[in-house]
Amino acid sequence: MQNTVNMAAESEFDEEEEPSFSDPEDFVADIDDEELLEDVLRERPLEADGIDLVVVVENVPQVGPELEFYIFSDKTINYDSVKNADGYKLDKQHTFRVNLFTDFDKYMNISDQWETPEKQPFKDFGNMRHWLEDPDCRDQYSVIYESGEQTAIFSNDPKEPILVEERACWTETYVRWSPKGTYLATFHQRGIALWGGEKFKQIQRFSHQGVSLIDFSPCERYVVTFSPLMDTKEDPQAIIIWDILTGQKKRGFHCESSAHWPIFKWSQDGKFFARMTQDTLSIYETPSMGLLDKKSLKISGIKDFSWSPGDNIITFWVPEDKDIPARVTLMQFPSRLEIRVRNLFNVVDCKLHWQRQGDYLCVKVDRTPRGTQGVVTNFEIFRMREKQVPVDVVEMKESIIAFAWEPNGSKFAVLHGESPRINASFYHVKSNGKIDLIKMFDKQQANSIFWSPQGQFMVLAGLRSMNGALAFVDTSDCTIMYIAEHYMASDVEWDPTGRYVVTSVSWWSHKVDNAYWLWTFQGRLLQKNNKDRFCQLLWRPCPPTLLSQEQIKAIKKDLKKYSKIFEQKDRLSQSKASKELVDKRRLMMEEYRRYKDSAIQLYNQQRELRLQLRGGVDTDELDSNVEDWEEETIEFFISEEIINLGDLE
Amino acid sequence: MRPILLQGHERSITQIKYNREGDLLFSVAKDPVANAWYSVNGERLGTYNGHTGAVWCVDADWDTKNVLTGSADNSCRLWDCETGKQLALLETSSAVRTCGFDFSGNIIMFSTDKQMGYQCFLNYFDLRDPQQIEDNQPYLSVPCNESKITSAVWGPLGEFVIAGHENGEINQYSAKSGEILKAAKEHTKQINDIQTSVDLTMLISASKDCTAKMFDSTNLEHIKTFKTERPVNSAAISFSHVVMGGGQEAMEVTTTSTRIGKFEARFFHAAYEEEFGRVKGHFGPINCVAFHPDGKSYSSGGEDGYVRIHYFDPQYFDFELEA
Repeated sequence: MQNTVNMAAESEFDEEEEPSFSDPEDFVADIDDEELLEDVLRERPLEADGIDLVVVVENVPQVGPELEFYIFSDKTINYDSVKNADGYKLDKQHTFRVNLFTDFDKYMNISDQWETPEKQPFKDFGNMRHWLEDPDCRDQYSVIYESGEQTAIFSNDPKEPILVEERACWTETYVRWSPKGTYLATFHQRGIALWGGEKFKQIQRFSHQGVSLIDFSPCERYVVTFSPLMDTKEDPQAIIIWDILTGQKKRGFHCESSAHWPIFKWSQDGKFFARMTQDTLSIYETPSMGLLDKKSLKISGIKDFSWSPGDNIITFWVPEDKDIPARVTLMQFPSRLEIRVRNLFNVVDCKLHWQRQGDYLCVKVDRTPRGTQGVVTNFEIFRMREKQVPVDVVEMKESIIAFAWEPNGSKFAVLHGESPRINASFYHVKSNGKIDLIKMFDKQQANSIFWSPQGQFMVLAGLRSMNGALAFVDTSDCTIMYIAEHYMASDVEWDPTGRYVVTSVSWWSHKVDNAYWLWTFQGRLLQKNNKDRFCQLLWRPCPPTLLSQEQIKAIKKDLKKYSKIFEQKDRLSQSKASKELVDKRRLMMEEYRRYKDSAIQLYNQQRELRLQLRGGVDTDELDSNVEDWEEETIEFFISEEIINLGDLE
Repeated sequence: MRPILLQGHERSITQIKYNREGDLLFSVAKDPVANAWYSVNGERLGTYNGHTGAVWCVDADWDTKNVLTGSADNSCRLWDCETGKQLALLETSSAVRTCGFDFSGNIIMFSTDKQMGYQCFLNYFDLRDPQQIEDNQPYLSVPCNESKITSAVWGPLGEFVIAGHENGEINQYSAKSGEILKAAKEHTKQINDIQTSVDLTMLISASKDCTAKMFDSTNLEHIKTFKTERPVNSAAISFSHVVMGGGQEAMEVTTTSTRIGKFEARFFHAAYEEEFGRVKGHFGPINCVAFHPDGKSYSSGGEDGYVRIHYFDPQYFDFELEA
């Protein structure tokens, strides 16, 4: 366990003076130190059980022994309060010294010889947010191609991609961006590496032999790695949680299978992470990495859970158990308060879908109503922002192929039916308690829904076996803006701003025509980028905006002013491109003409030779020998028309 | 464009060629029959029967008197164009991959594959010496030890043969001595096809490396490159336009066969190296393309066994890229 508290004590190290551990002058110990400590040391809590905070407070003004041991089991005490209390001056003579008990252990073991701590060279990675300062607001994306041997980072310009960095064998399998875009993670046999800054220097390395999967905490403080190789009961190493800044291993966990990665799901603020095992939901807190309240929740039959992306609320569901119906529960953390429970009957299966901001939860419930054989689907829509979380039900007549909430909005899209009759329906969850079906498009070639991260726009795609059919939709009025095709497309990725969409054919799914195409959000094709054995493109995420709501409102109001400036800039750069292209073409044509002229010169010089080779027959032009030609008229049958002579009269 | 569909083969087309005046189009395929067609309306003139295996190549002399074919039945045969009569049978040790008449029509060349222990040879016969034909003795036989020849054409005056190899190299072989006069190493993968411009001053090579390249015939100077994202099976050049046909690796065909009629011939501007048009229609990869000598039409032969003749619309000739 690494504690980063007791900053006061740590700062004393810098003064090149051994901190004073001698008792205050008037201290009288009536118990033998070692005997006392030995006792408590044995009871020192283990990692797996959570921690009782044992806090030692010195200099408490009172008569009698001035060294007091306070054992706090109050849950609200945390490291910060310990830290804050330390050094608190009661009065001129008395200053609280507050230390964690475990620190005593640390101090006890410090050697008498004072060793200056080794000065770590300061690693300057530069501006870690450098990519956000691009003057033309270009977003970055990573591209893996040559079947994994090359990884490149490009800056997205509508004219053509601008190469930022390209490295051979940067990763052994694939790459991942951290949630706010700060780090690029690469995979290697021995572990993972994180890269960042303007020059993509290596920021950190985590050693985990055979690592195959990773996950970041939303706050980017932690990264979780999984390897199927290393796992023993004594030393659980299948899953390791690391502190990204310090590079330290925080905790290791055992893992049965990685089938549903990520095994640990993070709360939106990174304060908690949780996992589900048989009949159990375990919630851990950071930075201690210990179980919240020192124990897991026993939830018999728990099938699935997920965190709200907006609040520290978990939703989970349990199936029917004899007479007790299936139910979906919403529980708040750390209080563990059940804020909503919903009973469901004749349930076959449930899927949990949160809206991006946590404003709504949709539980897709597959049921077999009593007395029937078939399975019907309902969407149970929980309105999280309303008092007591009311639930509305939308019944679906057909089987569901895909479901997706609009980010930043209150609509959702559903693909339902069966090939070839697949329909796309759009619903609006209104604030008046109703859920309206806004529009339904039938006979769609689609199996996936891709909303713009900003909402409103979306792409319906028929990937892989549906040959890459694309429909660009504006859901403000539910119109299809454009229909296109990227034959055999396997992936669709929106940029973080919602301006661009990339469709791609990955070598991992199709061995030919590997490329990625760039479109505008309206469906206008801007670029086709062929890359030898292209595998994967991932946009670099953006951190959340620093602008306040008022600032955003103000910008929207003045949008006309800004758009004028941008349009001017665009026009200039376009005409520059045209001019460049025109100049390039002119040069090429001149070059070509010059070559042709010299070739024709040689050709003319060789005329005699040619005549000789063909016995004097001039064949330089197709009509050189008109006298030899015979004119022949050939009639071809073109069409037939039958006229009934009787009609002519 | 109104395409004329020629159905005369049961297997995939291996080569198509116009005669010098363009009124005839010859086609050969993986079946043993060679066909001659009138290019104006697609009517068949006749067939040349005799081969017993896939026919890889065909050529006609400048006067359209004789036709030459090379086959996987280990023979190269000479035919009378008008009557279809087989005039000569030259047996070889391995499949004949490419063949052609020189500018005068007196000398023929053909190359044999590296197969069954035999290596690749480039053979020259002088038709004016009947003994060579009777004895099946070429006056010059050039061995190609390293990389076999995959396609070849004659130079402008019959002095050398320009051959493309499996390793992407292009070499000029003297027709007198057999030595390599000039070499070009521009392509990175196998040369699938080489064709010359009508006046024989330029040649265009189509390669598995997804590009076609234009060279000067006489000095093998590399002039232009045309890029696509698929292997190029064949390319032809006419005045300022280049047409390319391709598809994909043969083994990949089954995975994309659901795409009906979507294999395309692509047109590039020769000077700008830019693609300006595509023509769909074949049900499989295009194996061979050829321009009519007058540049007003072109033909394509496909893996689907069809040959399609296309006459250009007036717009094709008015088309100008902004410059």
